[in-house]
Amino acid sequence: MNNSRTTFRSLSCLAALLWCLGAPRAAFCIDNRPADLESREELAIKQATALVTASLVRIETVGGLDRIGQVLTVTGPTTGVIVSPDGFIISSAFNFASRPASILVTLADGRRLPATQIATDKLKMLTLIKIEAENLPVPQAAPAETFRVGQWAIALGRTLDESASISVGIISALNRIWGKALQTDAKISPVNYGGALVDIEGRVLGILVPLSPQASGEVAGVEWYDSGIGFAIPMVDVLATLDRLKAGKDLTGGLLGITIKGQDIYEGQPIIDRVRYGSPAYQAGLRDGDAIVELGGQAVKRQAQIKHLLGNRYAGETVSIKVKRGSEELVREMTLVEKLVPYESAFLGILPVRDGVGKPADLGVGVRFVVDDSPAAQAGIARGHRILKFNDHDVNSPAALLDLVSRQRPLDRARLVVQQEGKRKELELTLGSLPASVPLELRPSPIVPREKELANKELKTGRFTEKMPAHEHEYWAYVPEDYNPEFKYGLLVWLHPSGDTMEASILKAWQTLCDERGLILLAPKAGQIAGWIPDETEFVKDAVEQFFEKYSIDRSRVALHAYGGSGPFAYQLAFKHRQLFKGISTVAAPLLAPPPDNEPDFRLQFHLLCGDNDPQIRNVVMSARGLSELKFPVVYRAIEGAGHKYPSAEFVTEIAVWIDSLDRI
Amino acid sequence: MTMWLVSGIVFLAAWHLSAALLTAAEPAERTIDDVSRRVVKIFGAGGIRGLYAYSTGFLVSSKGHLVTVWSHVLDDQAVTVILHDGRKFEGKILGAEPQLDLAVLKIEGDDLPYFDLDSASTSGVGTRVLAFSNMFKVATGDEQVSVLHGVIAARTRLTARRGAYESPYNGPVYVVDAITNNPGSGGGVLTTADGQLLGMIGKELRNTQTNTWINYAIPIGELKPVINEIISGKFVARAERSDDSANPRRYVPVDFGLVMVPDVLFRTPAFVDRVLPGSPAAKVDIRPNDLVLFVNDDLVQSCRLFKEELGRLEAGDVLKLVLRRGNALIPVEMPVEKKAESDTDKSRTRNGKNKPADEDDE
Repeated sequence: MNNSRTTFRSLSCLAALLWCLGAPRAAFCIDNRPADLESREELAIKQATALVTASLVRIETVGGLDRIGQVLTVTGPTTGVIVSPDGFIISSAFNFASRPASILVTLADGRRLPATQIATDKLKMLTLIKIEAENLPVPQAAPAETFRVGQWAIALGRTLDESASISVGIISALNRIWGKALQTDAKISPVNYGGALVDIEGRVLGILVPLSPQASGEVAGVEWYDSGIGFAIPMVDVLATLDRLKAGKDLTGGLLGITIKGQDIYEGQPIIDRVRYGSPAYQAGLRDGDAIVELGGQAVKRQAQIKHLLGNRYAGETVSIKVKRGSEELVREMTLVEKLVPYESAFLGILPVRDGVGKPADLGVGVRFVVDDSPAAQAGIARGHRILKFNDHDVNSPAALLDLVSRQRPLDRARLVVQQEGKRKELELTLGSLPASVPLELRPSPIVPREKELANKELKTGRFTEKMPAHEHEYWAYVPEDYNPEFKYGLLVWLHPSGDTMEASILKAWQTLCDERGLILLAPKAGQIAGWIPDETEFVKDAVEQFFEKYSIDRSRVALHAYGGSGPFAYQLAFKHRQLFKGISTVAAPLLAPPPDNEPDFRLQFHLLCGDNDPQIRNVVMSARGLSELKFPVVYRAIEGAGHKYPSAEFVTEIAVWIDSLDRI
Repeated sequence: MTMWLVSGIVFLAAWHLSAALLTAAEPAERTIDDVSRRVVKIFGAGGIRGLYAYSTGFLVSSKGHLVTVWSHVLDDQAVTVILHDGRKFEGKILGAEPQLDLAVLKIEGDDLPYFDLDSASTSGVGTRVLAFSNMFKVATGDEQVSVLHGVIAARTRLTARRGAYESPYNGPVYVVDAITNNPGSGGGVLTTADGQLLGMIGKELRNTQTNTWINYAIPIGELKPVINEIISGKFVARAERSDDSANPRRYVPVDFGLVMVPDVLFRTPAFVDRVLPGSPAAKVDIRPNDLVLFVNDDLVQSCRLFKEELGRLEAGDVLKLVLRRGNALIPVEMPVEKKAESDTDKSRTRNGKNKPADEDDE
């Protein structure tokens, strides 16, 4: 009896012993093995990469421009993603900005093939190329409904030798750049532009491209490389437009042709400020003052929403709009266009008496000068008259009259109420267009020399030099000695050519004219005597704004003046800061890049001079012609018998008169 | 006997438990601590005009041999080395190999924690890594160096394109998906997530083609032989590589019978204008309007680069070209013949006067 109990006990102990030996570790393990999760993630990332890497190609280009404007184009390789088995490959437009002569593709298996450029999507900055091949592997696209902020996003490229490159991050945001792109914090740079952003399951989320919400163009956004901010165009969007690209059609963003009142895009109910003539909005019958209620079926409460709704649409797409006009609601369909009809302002033919001159209680806008053969001249308007009403609107300032006239087109009829010698007269006339000549007989507007001391004792007059603290840059300036802050002065910003600031000769040429015509001369100096660099636009902008604060300056008469090598920098400055500069006068300086469109809200007038023996004369003529076609107000004059030199006093005087007439209406 | 069995069971259970605990993977903190002890902070010369005067290094022997990048920080023969716990040593340069961006220093120490170079590891793309360095000299005195995390972004060589990287080192590197390209990081270590040494973090380096900075580390395997040689005293510096920027002009296109299009733009593609009859080029059927794309596997993006590649050839080489004709890529090969002395002189004079080859009459 004892034996069986003992046996039983022994056996059970033995069984327990054996069980202990054989028990899986897990029974006793504390499952705190973080490395296990990490190694599984690592494996998942490697597998996701492996699924797509065969569809990545390396693209190299040969030949092409070495600069665009003043930015050097890159020469390194870039990446592409195969989108169809017969050899269509999508990549970022970044590497094709230089318009290469020859494109070479290296497949994952090492084969090298030449490629042809098929089309570019300029809205999303993508380029489609094609190689002759068959049965190429095409990756899967991740459906848009699976996108989640915070999910794994792996950026793949194939620009480095020997292996594809990867960078691991997450999706940081959706619908960035006005609805166009996914944002990721993976490292995005030329190493993987044109490559694929892939999810943890190995499906392509999007194609990596440099983008910036503030600027556009093939190289916008490159300055954010490896910064933790990167963008990818969703693959599903790319596939949606693929057939059109395959057909060889370039795609561009679509325009409606409207501007919205107000500077703040977050303010309430957007109200149309201007409808551009000939635009889709114009043809749909929309008018200045309509309030936008719905766009593309979505309710609109803020201007920012319009940008979001239109930011991802191409020219040729139709969009519906609902506006409110008074108590009426109108619904219209519009087809977006690539380019709008060039904007051209009407011209009345007068130069207004400036604010600050004359008795403040006078109504309307005084006429300082009437341009020969203009509509105003033909209607009998003369110096000394006052314009009280334009098309039934009261006119209280030159700015208000200019705004009204700018909304009309040449050959429109207009009704004015004019005060002539104490009597009110009603007139009707046909508006004209801005003349391409300078009214040389224009006499200066009177400026009374100041009588008392300047309130700000530190304000300098005469010729002086200053250094800008924030910028390590210098400028010199000339303010008329009898500067009177009660009057508004024009501002002439002189940009010297490379190698020579021309301080002495410019001061000599302009000093008297500044005194006569009420001009302040500001002459920034380039950091390197060799020439201006694009980064210096900020310095010049800050210098100009500083002068706005210190001196009494008429914002409608701020002009840039450039000669020869400083031309490109001056044009770039004028186009980048259109709210600052109203005129640009150049000598022997053609446009190197196509200008942007003429815009009603940012009036910009041009005065181009060139010696007819100057080697640049042909280019300057072409630039003038190009600007006229875009309906910019351009005055072009060739200087007979002159080569490449700064113009004589006669022409400098013309430029001064042109600046004096920049506020013509 | 029961007692023995019971105690046996208890003992086994305890054994399992502790074994399980002991074999649980090293928590990340312990690894980092372990690795950090072997990484040192180096302070030295500032180079010209206030360049940063600090970098990182790592110990490779218990007696105080340490490895770092060859940089301006070592301009003074003696530098200050500070360990993870603040102990300060004077470091002397034992030897350096600038072609590998490598320097070995010695501090007088004993029983110091060090990396055993023989147990260093290699790894593939996508593997998690940690980078240890004194970037921006954030670690002061007795603090551990800074740690970054990331993955191996790629394995590549720095020879991709001549002049693409301004670095004497042109061998294989790990490109890292972490921002290791910082002042002071050079000489730090790249390890796997569990502390195995992979490579030495390189100096700040820029890819001149894309104008972007590159985050990279040199694999230990490339450095180990030279480090061991320096430590054992048997190191002999390799002869300086011939200076590529001197641009030899040994051969020109017309030596092969090729007349290229006039090189007017900065990046005129290398189109063939004419082929001289009976020349080596004619024998391999190169035709006018062919575009020369590759010379010996290097892409040539312009006439200028094509002529530079030819200039570097030596007699006895084989010139391999890949041409684009229409939509096809055509490889051809031509032997590089020794030039007669007078020919060599002629081409030198020709190029000395900067006359483009195709203007000469033959």
